[in-house]
Amino acid sequence: MRGLQLGLLALVLLSAESVLVRGFGLEVARVDVTVVVVVFMAVFSRTVEGALTSFAVGYLLDVFTGRPTGLFPALAVLVFLVARGAAQLLDGKSRLGFALFTTGASAGHSLLAFLLTWLTSKSAEGRVLSLSGMPAQLLLTLAAAWLLFPLLSRLEPGERTEGGGGRLA
Amino acid sequence: MLSFLSRHREPLLVGALIIVPLINFLARGGRGREPNVLDRAVLSVSAPLQSGLTWVVDGVGASVSAYVALRGAREAAGQCRVQLAEAQRELNALTEARAENERLKAALGYVEQSGGLVVPARIIGLNATPQFQSFRIDRGEDDGVRVGMPVVTAQGVVGQVVRAVGGAADVMVMTDPQSRIGALVQRTRVRGTVVGAGDGQRMQLDFVRREDDIREGDVVVTAGTDGLFPRGLVLGTVQQVTRPTVGLFLLGALEPAVDFGTVEEVLVLPLTGLSAMRTPEGIR
Repeated sequence: MRGLQLGLLALVLLSAESVLVRGFGLEVARVDVTVVVVVFMAVFSRTVEGALTSFAVGYLLDVFTGRPTGLFPALAVLVFLVARGAAQLLDGKSRLGFALFTTGASAGHSLLAFLLTWLTSKSAEGRVLSLSGMPAQLLLTLAAAWLLFPLLSRLEPGERTEGGGGRLA
Repeated sequence: MLSFLSRHREPLLVGALIIVPLINFLARGGRGREPNVLDRAVLSVSAPLQSGLTWVVDGVGASVSAYVALRGAREAAGQCRVQLAEAQRELNALTEARAENERLKAALGYVEQSGGLVVPARIIGLNATPQFQSFRIDRGEDDGVRVGMPVVTAQGVVGQVVRAVGGAADVMVMTDPQSRIGALVQRTRVRGTVVGAGDGQRMQLDFVRREDDIREGDVVVTAGTDGLFPRGLVLGTVQQVTRPTVGLFLLGALEPAVDFGTVEEVLVLPLTGLSAMRTPEGIR
């Protein structure tokens, strides 16, 4: 149920992001709203539930790119697993911790997306230039994670795993 | 075997969620798939949502702009009168030129090539990742928009349609690294290919011989040789020309004619020539 709620929330966030980013006049910087949801699942949910939700959120992102290739569902699940592992070592449960944790995950997500598209693209230089918006993207994602944390925390908080993220079951 | 699957079903499921789409991505080499039922369902929900949000954001923006504009209305009105007079003079000259053009076309038996319907559309959102630079418009298959159709504004070329569903379509901007458009320099008729630079701001003019005559400030237009874009649409202006000491081709940096940050409405042009005879799948 929480997965469905988060999926719908991701759809709304992606729609809002696409409109707001245009309004701000940003060219290659985006707000990684899907990573916010994926990291939240990594910190607060069980593995299978989180992986399935991350896949669904990545699928939505894939559709929103305009040229769905299957890259973003795979990356979302990968980022979920890495974030889940890292959540054992780092604090991602406080608001600030979650925002910083999400920013790190967004950087990893962007770099992996760049690497994989670069590997499969003829125009390597163009792919490198697509990273020019990354600093702004990380700042915007940090702000988005900070703002969205209270909203995400309200989604069935009773189902959170005890003892924190990082448990593999 | 079954007991193994049963015991390890969770890691296997999670592994499959990564590996299956990743193989799909690598197999397709970065090319988008045709929209399936699920894609269409997502787009049919998100496109009206984006349209609604765009309406709200634009409405708020317009109200603020109107308020700000009122404050400087007197000076602006004075400037407008001057500009109007100038525009009227240019319009007269253009009317003369058009009349002459019509007479010459008639004399040469010229047949207008753009036979289909031009579809005006509104941009309702930018797409979600910098790796694929595209935006969504509020017109789709239902309005006659098809994959491959050129998208322009009065200033020049914007890009081309890469996906169309019921009431929405996605347009790849020509600054995307995957964008390739046959081009020629207006002044010297030198041919080349305009390639997206990937930074959302510039393009590159590629496959132009080093000895060819190109200067900063030259206007570059579509050549009509790619089978998608009609000839003569403005692509941009040459910003910088570099002639490397080795290699056959020079490097030209192009500034787009269209400011992608401010464009709100676009026109989707019909497919022309050979591209009109292909299936949408064949255009990819």
